[in-house]
Amino acid sequence: MAEEILRIENLHVKVEDTPILHGLTLTVNRGEKHVIMGRNGAGKSTLASVIMGHPAYEITQGKVFFMGQPLDELDVFERARAGIFLSFQYPAVIPGVQVGTFLKKSVQSVRQEQLKARAFRKELNEAMNTLDMQKSVLARYVNDGFSGGEKKRLEILQMLLLKPNLALLDETDSGLDIDALRIVAKGINQIAPDAGCLIITHYQRLLDHVKPDFVHVMINGQLVMSGGPELALKLEDQGYDWLDTPEVEA
Amino acid sequence: MTYATMAVPSRALHLWRYTPWARIHPTSVEEVPETTPIRWSVSDGIALENGAPSTLGADDIARVFLLEAATEAYTLTPGKGQQTIHIRAVASGHAAIGRLHLNIKHDVTVIVHLSGEATWAGVHITGEVADNVRFGYGMVNELSVNSKLLRCEDWSLGRDADVQHASLSVGGFRCKNDLRTRFTSSGSRLTQAVSVHGRDQRHVDHHIEIHHDIERTDSSLNVHAACDDRSHSIATGLLTIAKEANHCDAGQVFKNLLLSEKARAEAIPELEVLADEVAAAHGAASAPLDPDQMHYLMSRGLDRNEAASLVVEGFMHHGFSSITNQVLVEEMRTRLTVHLECELKR
Repeated sequence: MAEEILRIENLHVKVEDTPILHGLTLTVNRGEKHVIMGRNGAGKSTLASVIMGHPAYEITQGKVFFMGQPLDELDVFERARAGIFLSFQYPAVIPGVQVGTFLKKSVQSVRQEQLKARAFRKELNEAMNTLDMQKSVLARYVNDGFSGGEKKRLEILQMLLLKPNLALLDETDSGLDIDALRIVAKGINQIAPDAGCLIITHYQRLLDHVKPDFVHVMINGQLVMSGGPELALKLEDQGYDWLDTPEVEA
Repeated sequence: MTYATMAVPSRALHLWRYTPWARIHPTSVEEVPETTPIRWSVSDGIALENGAPSTLGADDIARVFLLEAATEAYTLTPGKGQQTIHIRAVASGHAAIGRLHLNIKHDVTVIVHLSGEATWAGVHITGEVADNVRFGYGMVNELSVNSKLLRCEDWSLGRDADVQHASLSVGGFRCKNDLRTRFTSSGSRLTQAVSVHGRDQRHVDHHIEIHHDIERTDSSLNVHAACDDRSHSIATGLLTIAKEANHCDAGQVFKNLLLSEKARAEAIPELEVLADEVAAAHGAASAPLDPDQMHYLMSRGLDRNEAASLVVEGFMHHGFSSITNQVLVEEMRTRLTVHLECELKR
């Protein structure tokens, strides 16, 4: 029987006084890759932020469960330690904090154990090799002066090291060239068998490398249609306008 | 001029507005109390020479006071081939004073580590950097949390000298730092960086003067202060470019990170530019913790305190980003990390 990782029930969310999500329901099991597509402003990133616990968003109705536990009981860092990982669309820049220091602190915090230097270095080297990353990045400040592609690779590097139960990937493919896209997809595919993945994207091209189990379309804060990989191909071909008819929205 | 004949400086003066002389004097302002000497020890058994010049800054009350109250003074002249020298300065007793002159004739890095439990510590460091020398200088203030500190420095830079000056201020509860550099020959450059961590009711005042008396000299100053609890950081910069000092390039940037509602930080750059053909710029900014940075770090498993501590560490370390002397940068980073780890455990 499939192990449930994420269950969202009739989720309504607002930011300040603006409602964003209007009754969203979704279940993600371990080993499943779910893709959410939709126009800009549909609420896709809001969903990822709410699951991660961003304080700007308020759940007004509904529930989110992570491995059976209600998420509203957990602070952001507790969610991370429980195994939720968000690859940010716009990762924060943290001047003065070296990537190497940050990675070590992060892994220690999530695993709640002191890392053995040699073992961590080996693990880090392997992950960086997978993503074809230069070691010099470890001495740079977190996302400071990084190109779009470098930021996304660093996000995926963190995901490989943190080994989450739930990976939320918010437009991780945006701004990547073809080679970088392939490398990032390799990272996603590496963790996917052992995690639930929720991938937010605008483009079919990522799905050439990461085969989804489910594709959902979000319009105005609701999942209006779900299907298999063929749905993404249809969206790529026809856009979203055909989903705007009242029958479909209903 | 003697201390007894000098008037107590007015608070209307830029230099004394935020930390008046009476608040940093060890006893009452009319007296020159008995003091004990700061104990210096130099790495690799390098010997200090007795005596130091007393002419630099002789019209300033703090310097005159330190000169008259000190019982000892030393000079360090690093030899050729010496790369990094660590100097431990330990202040103990009711009032401790140390006067040290650095006679820099060759490329070298000197790092002073100031520590101890003295109720009051006074330090006057002077330095002359010879022509065409690359000099790195660091001061790490790790005094007891109960100590007062009066620190004066006076630097003179020779032709084509390149000086990197880093200060990490994490010790003492009331600290007055008066740091002055004068360019006396053309072609020289000063890169100065200060990082301050304020907590509890710590009061840290940095007054930094950089005087471009001669043409074709460059300076950059970065001051980063992270203030928590009810602490108060003040940074006043006085940058002067003399009338004949064309083709100078000088900049000052002050940044404050406010970690609590009651923390305060003043950043007051002041420029007096009399030459026409120069580039001179200044900027100041104060802000609380960035919620996006906090959220990002917490989403990676760090709790709120750990995340804030890492942001502070990064912010303070970033204050040294203009310093290219890696020995200096690594030493500042190490001492800062040790300090913040101790703070986390408090």
